[in-house]
Amino acid sequence: MAARRKGGKRRDGKPDLVESSIPPAAPLSRSSGAGVATSLPKSQVVAVTGAAGFLGLNLIGLLEEDDRVRRIVSLDLEPPRTAGQKTRVYEVDLTQPATEERVAEIFAAEGVDALVHLAFLASPSHSTAWAHELESVGTMHLLNACRRTQVRKLVMWSQTVLYGAHPTNPNFLSEKHSLRARRAEPFFADKIEAEADALRFGRPGKGRVVTILRTATLLGPTVRNYLTRYLSHRIVPTVLGFDPLWQFVHEADAVAAFKLAVDRDTPGIFNIVGEGVLPLSTVIRLAGRMGLPVPRPIMNTVTGALWLAQLSEAPPSFLDYLQYVCVADGDLAQRQMGFSPVYTTREALIEYASAQHLREVKLLSETPA
Amino acid sequence: MSSKRKQGGSGAPASERAPRRRKSRRRTKAPLADPASDERGEDGTLGIGSRVIPPPEMHDEPPASETPVVERMLDPADVQEEIRALEARLDGMIRRASERASEPPPPASLRDQVGTAARDVADRLGLPGGGEAARELFSSDYFLRQWGRLSLRNRSEEVDDFGLDPTYEKRIEPILDFLYKHYFRVSTSGIENIPASGRCLVVANHSGTLPIDGVMLRSAVRIEHPSVRELRWLAEDFIFYLPFAGAFFNRIGAVRACQENAERLLKKGSLVAVFPEGIKGIKKLYKDRYNLQRFGRGGFIRLCLRTQTPLVPCAVIGAEETNPMLYRVEYLSKALGLPYVPVTPTFPLLGPLGIVPAPSKWIISFGEPIRFEGYGPEAADDHVLVGRLSERVRSAIQGMLDRGLKDRRSVWFG
Repeated sequence: MAARRKGGKRRDGKPDLVESSIPPAAPLSRSSGAGVATSLPKSQVVAVTGAAGFLGLNLIGLLEEDDRVRRIVSLDLEPPRTAGQKTRVYEVDLTQPATEERVAEIFAAEGVDALVHLAFLASPSHSTAWAHELESVGTMHLLNACRRTQVRKLVMWSQTVLYGAHPTNPNFLSEKHSLRARRAEPFFADKIEAEADALRFGRPGKGRVVTILRTATLLGPTVRNYLTRYLSHRIVPTVLGFDPLWQFVHEADAVAAFKLAVDRDTPGIFNIVGEGVLPLSTVIRLAGRMGLPVPRPIMNTVTGALWLAQLSEAPPSFLDYLQYVCVADGDLAQRQMGFSPVYTTREALIEYASAQHLREVKLLSETPA
Repeated sequence: MSSKRKQGGSGAPASERAPRRRKSRRRTKAPLADPASDERGEDGTLGIGSRVIPPPEMHDEPPASETPVVERMLDPADVQEEIRALEARLDGMIRRASERASEPPPPASLRDQVGTAARDVADRLGLPGGGEAARELFSSDYFLRQWGRLSLRNRSEEVDDFGLDPTYEKRIEPILDFLYKHYFRVSTSGIENIPASGRCLVVANHSGTLPIDGVMLRSAVRIEHPSVRELRWLAEDFIFYLPFAGAFFNRIGAVRACQENAERLLKKGSLVAVFPEGIKGIKKLYKDRYNLQRFGRGGFIRLCLRTQTPLVPCAVIGAEETNPMLYRVEYLSKALGLPYVPVTPTFPLLGPLGIVPAPSKWIISFGEPIRFEGYGPEAADDHVLVGRLSERVRSAIQGMLDRGLKDRRSVWFG
């Protein structure tokens, strides 16, 4: 799975996946269900794809300390740094045609009960064909492997950006809204396909539990993605005349949500978002940056050119998010999953900004993975 | 450090002055902390107490800042002037003194302590140049941006769920008040029909080419209502397509009109205004003024039934005359992506100046609340009932409009 680390190189040659550096901190377990009564077997075997990515890394760190988990099976191209006693590391590339066979063997051998599927790109990639193989086709392989073995639970990562930014969006999108992100953009299209696949896998009557967690864009002191890179510029380009409301989820909250989904059986789709919204202009100022408003047509051209030159974080289709609102409602996760975020949108942003600033003045020298 | 101060001869006054001096510096210069002055600041605090400062020069200062304390307290500006002058002199002295000082003074200021601490941390972590980095932290452009001219002075750090920015609204409140009290000279009646608390839906006629009736409704409730109530109005989609308009109206309280938003607002117990005519209302021609258009598909009634919200009909008179639309250029509106391209007596003629609304006299009247307690939430699915109730509200507002128009003698003076 780890295929993720191969593709989309960043400008600085770093892989374009969620990378991270710091193992999960204590607060992670705060909102993850302590003392939850579960119907799960006393000890389960959890497989994690994309284990070396930010979410996978931290989730494995949490599961290592959880007595209810007997074994963790890590599927990625690289071993996760947080792998401990309980973790078995397999080098699996989801983009290979033989993946299905291989994964099914691993699942059967390890007796995997639950699969946490995190092998998705956190940031848009230039190698779109590879990304398609990984996200869309890779998910298909995985789900087929699950069907062939006794995996009864799937927790999958998805993102609220898939709702798409439209002027006709309500201020808070619920899980019932259709995913209207631009299908022409492979970053969105592949994830939407994967989600549809997962929903087919979890059709009622099969006795399977499928939980899809749509997280808002992750932000926090250690996570790396296109958004953190966008906000790390001195001058941040915006669209002239538009100031949409934005929403983030703190990285620790996101990891906690996945832990919660592993702990409890809560089938369904859930938005995992921080509370509160902030206008983009305020986001930029709180991050200590300067906004540069540019008319959208110019922005389109410039971003397109920069993207081709591999100098921009995201292709022009992401400009919609600088213009229109795409904010999700986390109410359902609160009611049904019992997940309530610890950090608000603003706190997540400030956590990110302070860490970023320390990094800039070299007081914090963690090398982002 | 304290021993040094004693050696300095003028121990007591100097040590007393030292903190004061720093304080005033904070007040006057801190926001723009420029590296050079910081440098001086550090040496300064240290230098004051140390023996390198010539005592005579020290002595002519205490009277200036200390004797006439009582009088000076009355005039802070003078004191500030004085302090600044003294600071300048002190800085000069300190520069000279520190040039002469043979050994570096020990760390004493807060800034230096932080610097040392950071150096220690950096040393332990094995980072190069930790101390330099710490200094940089306090004099970087980041601080400039954070507290300098680019800070969030006119904007709140937090907005509510729908993007209302309280600081920004406070700032433009005088303009809204002027429009409300002196420009449109709004006279409001029946404001007591809006309950003092709890959810409520105000349904009004929409008019006037530019969607300013929502802003005025909000101002009316803010200014006239006895209990502090905040009205959010639902604005048409097209505002959010337009540059500037969407961001602006959103910041001062507009919310995009859709069922989800309205329901969320009402569930929080807010006061919400809707214009069920929607875009057909503001784009109607002058000859159709005060003739209510179709009330959408009755979505507002379904909303009221589902959430058990009382409904207050409202008639806005005067807004039709602000920008009377004589003609709509249909083929241009498609090309420009606008809902309509109006031709008013002034608009294309005077250019951008033509969109300034005419100062007509506005009359806003709120009618008796209509309650739907007799119906359960399931009534929202009864299309016939919804249609009938919608028509009832429409005719109530039309009646209020007709009565108001009959009583009005002049467009400009009411």
